Amino acid sequence: MARGAEWLVLYVLSILVALALSAVLVETTGGSWRPVMTALVDGSVRAPGRWGETLGSAAPLLLVALGTVISGRAGLVNIGQEGQLLMGAAFATYFSFALGGPGPINLVVLLIFGAVGGAVWAGIAAVLRFWRGVPEVLSTLLLVTVAGQAVAYGLGRDWLLLASKANRGNRNQVSEQLATGNRLPRPDLFGNEIPLMVFVAVILAVIVALVLTRTVWGFRLRMLGHNPRTAQRAGVSMSHYGVSALMIGGAFAGLAGASMFAGGGFSFGNYRLVPGFSTNIGWTGLLVALVAREKAVAAIVVAFVFAALRTGSGFVGSTGVAGRITDVVQGLLVLALLIPPAVMFLRDRRRARFATTARA
Amino acid sequence: MSTFPSRLDGAGEAFASPAPAVVLTGITKRFGSVLACDGVDLTLERGRIHGILGENGAGKSTLMKVLIGLVLPDAGSIAIDGEKRSILDPLDAAELGIGMVHQHFSLVESLTVWENVALGESGRLKADAVRKRIGDISDQYGLYVDPYARVGDLTAGLRQRVEIVKCLRRDPSIVIFDEPTSVLTPEESSQLFDVLRNVATFDGQAVVLVSHKLDEVLDSTDDVTIMRRGRVVERWPTSQTDIKSLANAMVGREVSLRSERAALGTLATDPEVDEGEVAEEPHQLSVSRTTAPVLEIDSVRVVGPGGVLLLDNLNLRLWPGEIVGVAGVEGNGQRALADLLSSLTPVQHGMVEVDGESISTSKAGAMGRAGIAVIPEDRHDSGVVLDMTVAENLVLTDQYGVSRSGVIDLRSLTGLAERMIDDFDIQCSGADAPMWSLSGGNQQRVVLARELSNSPKILVAAQPTRGLDVGAIEYMTDRIRAAAASGVAVLLISSELEEIMDLSDRILVMHRGQIVGEMDRPDADLERLGLLMGGATV
Repeated sequence: MARGAEWLVLYVLSILVALALSAVLVETTGGSWRPVMTALVDGSVRAPGRWGETLGSAAPLLLVALGTVISGRAGLVNIGQEGQLLMGAAFATYFSFALGGPGPINLVVLLIFGAVGGAVWAGIAAVLRFWRGVPEVLSTLLLVTVAGQAVAYGLGRDWLLLASKANRGNRNQVSEQLATGNRLPRPDLFGNEIPLMVFVAVILAVIVALVLTRTVWGFRLRMLGHNPRTAQRAGVSMSHYGVSALMIGGAFAGLAGASMFAGGGFSFGNYRLVPGFSTNIGWTGLLVALVAREKAVAAIVVAFVFAALRTGSGFVGSTGVAGRITDVVQGLLVLALLIPPAVMFLRDRRRARFATTARA
Repeated sequence: MSTFPSRLDGAGEAFASPAPAVVLTGITKRFGSVLACDGVDLTLERGRIHGILGENGAGKSTLMKVLIGLVLPDAGSIAIDGEKRSILDPLDAAELGIGMVHQHFSLVESLTVWENVALGESGRLKADAVRKRIGDISDQYGLYVDPYARVGDLTAGLRQRVEIVKCLRRDPSIVIFDEPTSVLTPEESSQLFDVLRNVATFDGQAVVLVSHKLDEVLDSTDDVTIMRRGRVVERWPTSQTDIKSLANAMVGREVSLRSERAALGTLATDPEVDEGEVAEEPHQLSVSRTTAPVLEIDSVRVVGPGGVLLLDNLNLRLWPGEIVGVAGVEGNGQRALADLLSSLTPVQHGMVEVDGESISTSKAGAMGRAGIAVIPEDRHDSGVVLDMTVAENLVLTDQYGVSRSGVIDLRSLTGLAERMIDDFDIQCSGADAPMWSLSGGNQQRVVLARELSNSPKILVAAQPTRGLDVGAIEYMTDRIRAAAASGVAVLLISSELEEIMDLSDRILVMHRGQIVGEMDRPDADLERLGLLMGGATV
C-alpha cells in the first residue's frame, strides 16, 4: 500500500475510534450519541453558512501556526501566541480609531498595526532572551497573562480602548464597533460568507514555505535552529536572526488578532474588542503548528481540521450534552490527530522486524 | 591466553561444543542506495576479545548497531547462545545481556558519577547500593573512578570509565566497545585494554572491540574480522596475522609508509623511521617570514565558564604558505584557540588581525569572512548541520554564490554540490542526502570541501585526522599540504605528535593556554617537545 494511503487510512481509523469513544461517553452520561454526531457535522460543514464559519476560524489558526513555524525553525519555543494575538487585536483597535482615514486605508493601517502589536509583544520576550538570557518559553508564556491584564486595563479607559458612553450602552468593557466600510470583506460564495483572510492566510502559508526552503534567510534560519554553534561560525548571528524570528512569529499572531477584529464577524466580538477576545485561537494555533510538525503547507489542512472541530463543538452544546463532555469529545478528537504519526513509527519498526525474522 | 576461562572448562565436558555467544548470519542493511552491511556473518565466542577492523564507512558501526537494537537489519538473523532472537530495540538487547560502550558519551555533565550510573534505572533509587556497585566494579576490573566526582570535571578517559561502569553494572554477557580509544591518550588506551582483558577473562564475557587502529587490534584481540565496504573480507585468529596483512586487508590495496605509520601510531617508538622522514621532508621551507604575517594573534586572554583561564596572553603569528603545528597535551587551550578563530568565543583581552586588519572577536562569522577556514575538532559541534542535506552543508558559510537576490537557485546549488562531491570523492547517495546518513570520514570531507572552496587565507585544522582511517588520513594530509603549497597559511592543532612532526614547517607548543615553545621543524626533537608539552622550561 502506498504510504500516502496508509496515512489516510490511519487518520480515518483513529478519528472513527475517537468518535466511537465519544459516543460511549455521551451515552453513559445520559445523552444520546446520534444528535451529538449530527451536531458536529452540521456545525462544522453541513448546516447553511457553516463552511464560511469554519473557514473563518481556520484563517486565524493558520496565521498563528505560520508564526509558530517560523520561530520554531529558528530553534525558539514561542508559546505565547494567545497574548501576542490579543495585543495585535488591541493595537489594531486602538490605531484604527485613533488614526481614522478612509475605509481601505484604515483597514490596511489596522492590519499593519495588528502585526506590529504582536511583534512588539513577542519582541519583549526576544529582547529578554538575547540581552539577559531569559528563556523565551517562560517569558512568552507569562506575557500571555500580562497581555490579558493590559487589554483589560485599556478596555476600562475611554482614552485607550473603551467605547464612548453613547456607543457602549450598558456594557462596561467594550471598544467602539468598526465601521462597515473599514471591515475586511466577507464575499458570499455558494451561500457561505468566506472571510477574505482565508485566501490571504493560504497564500501566506505558501510564501512561508518557500521563504524557509528557498531563500538565503530561510536557509540561515534553519541552520540556526538545527545547530546554533555551526551557525555562529558561519556568520548567522543568533541574536539578530533569533529576534527577527520571534518578532515575525509574534507579527503573524498579531495579524491573526487584527483580522479577527476586522473580519471575524459574530464569531469574534462582532467587530468590537472585548475581554477574552482571543478565545483560545492562539493556543489552538500553536497546537496546529505542532500537529503539522512545523510544516507551513501541512498547517493549512491541520488548521481547517481544528477549525471544524471548533465550529462543530459549538453546535454540540445545543443538544443538551454538558459542556464538560463537549470538551472531552473535542480532546479525544485532538488526540486522534496525534496518534497516526506514532502508529506509523511503530509500523515501520515492525516491518523491519519481519524482515529480520523472515530468514530465521 | 587460554581460549575459555577456567570455570567453563568443566562445563565443556557436558556440552561438547557450547554454542557461541553470538552468531550473526547474513546481516544486510541498506541506507538509501548505500549498502552498509551486505550479508555479514559474525561469530563471537565467550571469553575472547574479538576485533572488528575496518575503515570509516566499512559497516562496523552499523553491524554493531544491529546487535544492540539501534538499527533493524533488512535481512539476516541473530542467534544468542544458540537460540534465534530478534532484537527490536536497545531494551531487547539489554535483556539478552548485550551492552555497548559508545564512542560518543551520553553522560549528564552536571550530575555526579554515581547519579549518571543510576540514570535509566527504574523503581526506587538506592543510592548506597549504586555506589557500592560502582566500587565493586572498580575493584573487579581495575576501573578506578570516584563516584562522587562531577562528570563535567572529568577527563575524557575518566568519562569513558563511567560509561564502561554504566555498561558493566548490568552484568552483560556480551560487551561491545565502539572505537574506544579515539578520545584517549596512549596511556589511557593501554589501561583500557587491561580492562577489556579483565572483562573477557573474569567471567567469560564475549568482548567486541570495534576499531580502525591496527596496532590495538593486533595487541589486544584474540580474533579479528576485517570489513570493507559492508562485507567481511577476512577472518583470522589474531596470533596468525601481522600488521601488514591487516592493513592490506582493511584498505584493499598497498598503503604508503606514512599512512601506515599513522594507522599504527608507531611514531614515538620508532625513531629510526622518524629520522629518515626528516631527510625527505616533502614540504620544502620556502616560506619567507620577512613579509607581514597573514594572521596575528596579539596577547589574547579567554576566560571560560567558571573563571577558568583558557587562553593566557597568547601570541601567535602565521605567514602565508607555511604549516604551523600546535602541539600540546589536550586540554591546554587548543580548543579555545580553534574557537577563537571560529568566532565562537568571547575574548576578555587582546586582538586578532588578518592581513593587518583587526577582526571583531564577538561578531558571528567575522573570522570566516576575514578568510579563516576551520576544520573543527568536533564537526558535529561546529562543522556540519546533521539535519540539512549534503548540498546545504557544502554552502553553509556562503549561500550568495548559489543565490540571486536572496533566493537560492536550486539548480546551481545542486550543480555546485555535485562538483564538490566529485572533486572530494564524498561517498553519499546524492547531493540531497541528509548529512546524518554519511559516515564520519565522508562528513569530514564535506567540511574540508566547503572550507577550502572559499579560497581561504588561513586554514585552521584541529585534530583533522582523528577518528579517520588510513586512506582518509592520507587524503586529508595531502589536501593540507596542497593548501599550504598554494599559499594558504595552515595552523595545524593536533595532539598527535607524529602528525605535527610529519606536516609542520614550524612547531609551537601549547601549555596552560600559552605558547611555551617554538622551533622550526628541522630543529625539533621529540625529547624537547615532550618536555615542553609537560610544562618544563627548556
